[in-house]
Amino acid sequence: MPGAPLVSINLQSSTPVYRQIASDLRRHLVEERLKPGDLLPPIRQLALDLGVHFNTVALAYRMLADEGWLELKRRRGAAVIARNAPRAVDRRHVDHLLRQLGHLAAELRSAGMTPRQITAALQRIAQGARS
Amino acid sequence: MTFDSWAMVITFVIAFHALLFHAMPRFSRPDILFAVTVPDAFVAGGGRTLISRYRAIVWTGAAAAVALSVLLSAPSGSEQRGWLMMAVVAGNLIVGLSAWLWAHRQARTHALPHGDARVASLVPRDTSLPGGALFAGGPFAILLTAAVLLYAYSDRIPEGGRETSAFGWLAFGALCAAMTLTLAVSLSRRTRQIAVDGMAAAAEQRFRRMNVLMLVLVGYGMAIMISAVTLEKVPAFGDVLSGRLGFMLLPLMLFNFGIAIWMFRVGQGGQRAVDPSERQKARGDATPDHAWKVGGLFYFNRSDPAIWVENRLGFGYTLNMGHSGAWLLMGMMFLPMLAATLFLF
Repeated sequence: MPGAPLVSINLQSSTPVYRQIASDLRRHLVEERLKPGDLLPPIRQLALDLGVHFNTVALAYRMLADEGWLELKRRRGAAVIARNAPRAVDRRHVDHLLRQLGHLAAELRSAGMTPRQITAALQRIAQGARS
Repeated sequence: MTFDSWAMVITFVIAFHALLFHAMPRFSRPDILFAVTVPDAFVAGGGRTLISRYRAIVWTGAAAAVALSVLLSAPSGSEQRGWLMMAVVAGNLIVGLSAWLWAHRQARTHALPHGDARVASLVPRDTSLPGGALFAGGPFAILLTAAVLLYAYSDRIPEGGRETSAFGWLAFGALCAAMTLTLAVSLSRRTRQIAVDGMAAAAEQRFRRMNVLMLVLVGYGMAIMISAVTLEKVPAFGDVLSGRLGFMLLPLMLFNFGIAIWMFRVGQGGQRAVDPSERQKARGDATPDHAWKVGGLFYFNRSDPAIWVENRLGFGYTLNMGHSGAWLLMGMMFLPMLAATLFLF
């Protein structure tokens, strides 16, 4: 399985594990390493491989299914679906994410990055380029 | 038994145990030594010295046990000789296990901390049974065929009432086949994939499937044995089957022996056959050292969702005693024995 998309978690992180899983999955979906039609491992299998409770993985899958990325399949995990139709924008959620991005930008400035460098990095990320 | 045969049998048993203990460190993954996850530097340096010392204890114990058995099997020995011999064999096993526990304690001082970072592949893996469901159902087909034949020829069984116990044995065989099939399915689906991609992941998957195949073949062996034993009661089949059971089971036994040799060569999880650079993404077997009890003999971890984990003392897989599913499986394993005790004997 060369170059298989991976999901990684850190149990010591302040971010809940289900969010870490969802975040990794979302990155693969956005960067099209997971394409429509691709199957994801069954919930129990992924939970087993990560050593977490299966509810944690189920929560992450459900989150992405709500976002329109996945179709949940009973006992067979989940399948990536085409997300062509524009979804109704959740203004509050977008504002929340932008606020978080603002905090991150401030942290990057404080770590020594220039606004130009931050803009270039964001552009790279937005275009789905791998670092 | 004569003096020579006693000494020979006991020497053989002791030598076999010593060989087993000698090879034990070689069974585990390359970065696990005496059931402890250790750094590569220790495996290449201090670990080698530790293995040498451990093996020295094992062989010294075996030599002492052989010497003792030769003395005890002298013609002037008492009637208690058999028990004394068994005590010598048990003593040799205790020495081997103690050597392992000593080495385990030494290795623990070099243990790598269990990391909080975990990685898994997002590619679903193949959890089907080797050969498919039809092949896995073979033992049931064999038992069913035997039952049909037995029913058709029931009037030719010499003594009345015997056919009832014959059907009882076939039912027992079906229970055994169901048990091995359940173990094979749970092993296939409820084990953790440690290596996430590349050759290491492929080798691990191959190793798991071989273990599952072994279980399926054990089911075949049981079905053939029980069917043959029950059909032997019918004179027409008895003449054909008489003395041929061993011959019938030989291919299965040889095949399973071949798999065991292959496992010894590739090591636990198939990882010794993989280039070290391919294994770098995964350290150890993704289980914390502290959850392994009695020098790696038992695994007890309530927070681990795995029912089966890779063995740290020997080949294959062992149950996570902290998982309720493991106790359920163990209960299932005793079910055929319980049924046989209640209804057959």
